[in-house]
Amino acid sequence: MVVPPEVSKNKSADLMLDIINVKKAFDDLEVLKGIDLQVTRGQIVSIIGSSGSGKSTLLRSINHLETIDAGEIWLDGVRVNQPGLKGMEFERHINSVRQNMGMVFQQFNLFPHLSTLDNVRLAPIKLKGMDKRVATDYCMELLAKVGLEDKAETFPSNLSGGQKQRAAIARALAMQPKVMLFDEATSALDPELVEEVNLVMKQLAREHMTMLIVTHEMSFASEVSDHVLFMDQGVVCEQGPPDQIFSNPKEERTRVFLKKHLQQN
Amino acid sequence: MNFDFTPVWDNIPTLLTGTGYTLLIALFAAIISLVGGLAVSLTTLYGKKVFSYPLRCFIWLFMGTPLLLQLYLLYFGLGQVGILIPALLTGILGLGIHYMAYNADIFRATILSIEKGQTEAARSLGFGRMQTLWFFIVPQAIFRALPQLGNNMIIMLKDTSVLSVIGVTELVLNAQFEIANTFRPFEFYISVAVIYYFLNLILETSLNRFEKKLEDRR
Repeated sequence: MVVPPEVSKNKSADLMLDIINVKKAFDDLEVLKGIDLQVTRGQIVSIIGSSGSGKSTLLRSINHLETIDAGEIWLDGVRVNQPGLKGMEFERHINSVRQNMGMVFQQFNLFPHLSTLDNVRLAPIKLKGMDKRVATDYCMELLAKVGLEDKAETFPSNLSGGQKQRAAIARALAMQPKVMLFDEATSALDPELVEEVNLVMKQLAREHMTMLIVTHEMSFASEVSDHVLFMDQGVVCEQGPPDQIFSNPKEERTRVFLKKHLQQN
Repeated sequence: MNFDFTPVWDNIPTLLTGTGYTLLIALFAAIISLVGGLAVSLTTLYGKKVFSYPLRCFIWLFMGTPLLLQLYLLYFGLGQVGILIPALLTGILGLGIHYMAYNADIFRATILSIEKGQTEAARSLGFGRMQTLWFFIVPQAIFRALPQLGNNMIIMLKDTSVLSVIGVTELVLNAQFEIANTFRPFEFYISVAVIYYFLNLILETSLNRFEKKLEDRR
């Protein structure tokens, strides 16, 4: 029996991501203790917090790289953690859901056996059935957008860290996702390479891509986001517009975190 | 002591025929061992237990017993119960299956060595489990396995000589025929050794070249 996908009720059409009371534990360690987050279409949300606060786990839970224990995750009216689906049915469901979410990893995770162009175009060809020539033209445009049109035939091992991450962003964009998830996209980069990746992300922001950004870079977060979430020990400690979080935080824990962060840098 | 290589030279067609058989056997056994090895490793890693457990036992059996014994069992043992397989086919199958067990072990290790991030990247794009294996994990695992697989194939090429015991007319057995005619064992065995050496030299240099070509893809 095929369970029809559950469709959210009473939700504004502008709501792209709806995360309701999400909980997740690794063995005895509770990493997410009931997270709520709403992201509207075109909104850019940054998640900050110290390591171990659960921000990466939250991001990975959204496209089901981590299985949540409780709660609901909705993407554009479709429930990600669809209950009642088992085995292959769930597999098909999650594969189609993931096609709508682009994920960018800290360690890039480019496919080393494929050229930059193949890294980008394989998914639209194999998953969307896009014609190879159409996909090539389209993916060359994407590579040009991230400034890598001359690296199309290069293999990832011959790219710099910044180039790798820009290629990884192009790869995620190739599936024309509704949301982009950035999991500490610049944390593994040498300082002088961070800016080129940030520029690409800012470009996406200008094009009104819905983005969820887990980051350690406060200045970037305050510059680019519409909304900032401060997570601490598995809960959302404080959230609001960047001005409020960075200039006038209400919570003591937020203040302590930001102060520590300023000292470190 | 005086050595005379003219009998070897006079019988060079027999040796070349033997070399041809040796290469033919090695080629087919290599195909069986590589394709089969990959299939076995994937089944033991991701297959249902009904398939993977017996396959693992099979690997242990073939890795834990001598090739010579396996050939005797396949040829004479099966012959006793009425299953008669031609010697050449028995040899190709026996050698192929023996090295399939070793290659399966290599593939298993290199598949497991591919970083988790590769699977996560593929799955996050929307690729399914099988697609992820097929497009991303297996190709990388094959690249990583190449040096060890190459070594195995070199050992296997030499092990084709064991097939002489069940009467496959490969290089060694053909040389032995001519030794019986000419009583020149030293000259023939030295010549045969040189042929093996050059075959493996060619095999190794071409494998090295192939690996170099793929270097920046790893």
